[in-house]
Amino acid sequence: MDIELSAEDLAFRGEVRQFFQDNQMKPGEDYMQWRQDWFGKAREKGGWDVPKWPVEFGGPGWSPTQHYIWEQETARATLPFDLPFGLSMLAPILMAYGNEEQQQRFLPEIRERKVNWCQGYSEPGAGSDLANLKCKAELSEDGSHYIVNGSKIWTTAAHIADWIFCLTRTDDSGIKQQGITFLLFPMKQDGIEVKPIITLGGSHSVNTVHFTDVKVPVENRIGEEGQGWTYAKGLLQHERTGLAGLSRSIVALEGLKEKARSVPRGNGTLMDDPGFRAKVAELEIDLMASEYTELRSLASAAAGAAPGPESSILKLKGTEIQQRIQKLTVEASGIYAPAWGPQQVGFSFSKGGMSGYLASRAYTIYGGASEVQRDVIAKNVLGIKRSSK
Amino acid sequence: MNFALTDEQRMIQESVEQFVNDSYDLESRIALSNSDQGFSSEYWQAMAELGWLALPFEEADGGFGGNQIDVMVLMEQFGRGLVLEPYLASVIMGGGALKRGGSEALKTEMLPGVFDGSRQLAFAYAEQQARFDLDDVTTTARKDGEHFVLNGHKSMVQHAASAHQVVVSARTSGGQVDRGGITLFLVDADAAGISREDFPTVDGLRASEIAFKDVKVGADRVLGEVDQGFAILQAVANDAMLALGAEAVGAMEVLYKDTVAYTQEREQFDHPLSDFQVLQHRMVDMFMEYEQCRSLLYRATLETVQDPAAAQKTIHAMMHAIGKYGIFIGENAVQLHGGMGVTEELRVGHYFKRLLVIDAMFGNADYHLQQFAA
Repeated sequence: MDIELSAEDLAFRGEVRQFFQDNQMKPGEDYMQWRQDWFGKAREKGGWDVPKWPVEFGGPGWSPTQHYIWEQETARATLPFDLPFGLSMLAPILMAYGNEEQQQRFLPEIRERKVNWCQGYSEPGAGSDLANLKCKAELSEDGSHYIVNGSKIWTTAAHIADWIFCLTRTDDSGIKQQGITFLLFPMKQDGIEVKPIITLGGSHSVNTVHFTDVKVPVENRIGEEGQGWTYAKGLLQHERTGLAGLSRSIVALEGLKEKARSVPRGNGTLMDDPGFRAKVAELEIDLMASEYTELRSLASAAAGAAPGPESSILKLKGTEIQQRIQKLTVEASGIYAPAWGPQQVGFSFSKGGMSGYLASRAYTIYGGASEVQRDVIAKNVLGIKRSSK
Repeated sequence: MNFALTDEQRMIQESVEQFVNDSYDLESRIALSNSDQGFSSEYWQAMAELGWLALPFEEADGGFGGNQIDVMVLMEQFGRGLVLEPYLASVIMGGGALKRGGSEALKTEMLPGVFDGSRQLAFAYAEQQARFDLDDVTTTARKDGEHFVLNGHKSMVQHAASAHQVVVSARTSGGQVDRGGITLFLVDADAAGISREDFPTVDGLRASEIAFKDVKVGADRVLGEVDQGFAILQAVANDAMLALGAEAVGAMEVLYKDTVAYTQEREQFDHPLSDFQVLQHRMVDMFMEYEQCRSLLYRATLETVQDPAAAQKTIHAMMHAIGKYGIFIGENAVQLHGGMGVTEELRVGHYFKRLLVIDAMFGNADYHLQQFAA
């Protein structure tokens, strides 16, 4: 047992830090130009623009430890914004199940961040029970295309997306996991209506999307008709492990302490208040434990073992920690916590604190609600089988 | 970076596991715990022969040169077996003070007996008014020629009744809560002026209250420097906390796994209990907190091996979690075993009691949270 980084890993960390430092945005530089250049330079480093892609598709082929170092460093640096839908969610499915023509058509554009994707999974009647989806795709008589009718909901970035990858129902005669088909189609076309959903934090990132007789050529189908559930399911697990965000929480916790130290309380600051201090300490201890839980899971992956039971708890713990940081940020605002609207009143973090907190309530809902996660752990890790009674 | 055990550590793990499986069924444990001494001299001898009593000592002193990771591996298995022998008191605490502060002459005199099982040590660090603070010491030691004279009272001394020598923290200078001015002494258990009140603790182990009235101790029995004993006291307490953390993690694993197994067998309302989602989610929470405690145990132990001074805060973090979640897991293991959970017949209650004791030894969850936040 040891926690030392090897000489190679230390050298890699130095290289990553150097890269981030050399490629910061300069004052006056155009943001979109800087973003484009940044990804270009990352690509020249040997796939740093697509860290999680496999080597055969241009990824860097890092070890689990290198991925961990990258995540730690990115939490402290300012990187250009990136959306996960094409890069981390669709791309692995294309690589695993798409045909060569589809791979060549879609992957380069995803890599170059030229095309924005959104994910058409959840529906009004299919949330945690995703397989219950009803959005219908009917094959035309000549077999050349599907006609899509139905609705999707909670579709993040649908209003700025160029394309959607979508789970549709092509057959409802069997069990609900069968008869689901995975389709790709452009968003900017007749028959697609996007309506914003404003969430509690006051922001617009999710939408409802309605499809009326949308034509999708059969060559835009991934894999076989009716097998879409299998393709999507593997990815859901992948999505969940990426949501813990521990490195970002470590930085956010430091930020929380700094904020609390800026709030006067008696002769000192809020950080001198024993009750508040104890809550921060409890949070920090849970975060310290989670960090090591992640390292343990990483170490077993590095040793080539299947992810151990410890990896299953990271999404649950990680998202709860993110929420607690947000909650304490609101608490730190005290009487200014309710301030809303464009005026800047109270502490510098007051308004952002409340909207951040409200937005964080979604963390334990999306990507599989915490209750569903517990069901999954009970079944897959504790080995509890529901009896047939 | 890796969390795999070395071959040697795996051997320790396997041999302790074997010992626990062979010797520590519930019935044997209850019988041993009810005996006069509260543990087995035969097992103690076996541990000596297997080399376990010499594990965390320098090879130069005749030990095996093991570190806190090796002890963790052993103690986790002890936790799974609810082992009663005075390993913590004699080897980790008494031996830990002796190896850090004993003169060469004293180590040569004392350690061979510690290793071969013929000599037991105890560690008298606590006092009633001190609660969990190691630096709150009112027992005094007054210099008198070549001797010190001890007066005062030490509390909750683990396994003092069977010990041959007791390490005692006493004040040689300074105020009641000063870190400077504390000195450690190795005192013969049968020295004139010592009186003891022996009693069992709720987990079936043994402890004593010890009163010192004009007890004469030779100056050659000082461990470390006069007035400078606190650093040793803290280092020994840290080793003891790491050992207790490992024991607690072993006990927690048994508790959550027993509960998962029991709820799948026990039927009510025509269903195994494990069909009920409210119980499934409770068990998932028990499992998760157990894994988180294990993570903090690894973190505190590895950081201690790397740099003991930098690890202090992490040890408090671990003890907070062990206290809080150990009791959470214990209470829920009892709850989910229903009526059977509150009986002496099932082992879950015994593990629960041990976790309650661990939370009360070097500071409970709240105490360590305050220390962490300080």
